[in-house]
Amino acid sequence: MGLEKLLGDGILATRVSALVNWARQNALWPMPFGTACCAIEMMATLSSRFDLSRFGAEVIRFSPRQADLMIVSGRISIKMMPVLLKIWEQMPEPKWCISMGACASSGGVFDTYTLIQGVDQFIPVDVYIPGCPPRPENLIDGIRKIQEIVSKERLWDAKHGN
Amino acid sequence: MNANHPVVARFRERFAADVLSVEEFRGQTVISVKAPRAVEMLKSLRDDAECPFDMLTDLTAADYLRLDAPERFAVVYQLLSMLRNERLRVKAYVSEARPEIGSVSSLWGNANWLEREVWDLYGIRFLGHPDPRRILMPDDYEGHPLRKDYPLKGRGERSHFPKYTAEEAP
Ligand code: SF4
Repeated sequence: MGLEKLLGDGILATRVSALVNWARQNALWPMPFGTACCAIEMMATLSSRFDLSRFGAEVIRFSPRQADLMIVSGRISIKMMPVLLKIWEQMPEPKWCISMGACASSGGVFDTYTLIQGVDQFIPVDVYIPGCPPRPENLIDGIRKIQEIVSKERLWDAKHGN
Repeated sequence: MNANHPVVARFRERFAADVLSVEEFRGQTVISVKAPRAVEMLKSLRDDAECPFDMLTDLTAADYLRLDAPERFAVVYQLLSMLRNERLRVKAYVSEARPEIGSVSSLWGNANWLEREVWDLYGIRFLGHPDPRRILMPDDYEGHPLRKDYPLKGRGERSHFPKYTAEEAP
């Protein structure tokens, strides 16, 4: 962005970062990568009973180009992995990733030839949510953790294309 | 359907040389046959005058690796006669050295995808199949994972992907 050249690492840049982060963390646009049972809990989280919009993350984007938070919820098979990678590539920076449930985080009970043993082997995961499936409260907690991470971002970090 | 049903008797008579056995278990009849004339046999069952097995409810396969069986693989046809409400199972044994059998997709349309599945997972070729591609595994996959000698955890196919880190984002 070149901001750091303009402003230096001074008080103004810090303030601008804080403002941008405040906007970002309260307007996360998730890309739902729901491939199995965990996706049902994710849908429950988004709908009225648990109402993720209370935390500013209800604008589900099915186009990766409009999303900044990938929620991998479910098993990823070797046939699905290229799709996941392609979508991850298409998401613009800055972006974050939640690995939801035992399967996405570690393969779960499916230790077989066809199942990826944790998506964190191939894409950078920021928050892991344990459970099979995690309850909607856990997902909300995960998104709150993402918000914490977002609040600590600095505009001149690598994540923002510098 | 029990094993002394006339359609079974007619079948045994016509294909005596290729029928390996006829067994009945809890009212279900299984005819085991040799593979080479399987299509002809199944056509005769489908077109039987009195009890036509006009529906193929399932087509699958079994791997008898290290088990007592005439050959390593069996292609299993589950037939239903909607006219007589009778069911019949036909097992056609194919060898490990030449795992191939005629395609019945011209007899029952649904056999098309079922045979692709058997090819994909067991590696049994269906001669004369109109579209012999894989159906479940990725197109560039090597091997047939439902064979009993395929390693459960695979041959490393689940770790061959590009790796992205947060620092060197794409
Ligand atoms: S972790 Fe459990 S609920 Fe989630 S996708 Fe795996 S099996 Fe389904």
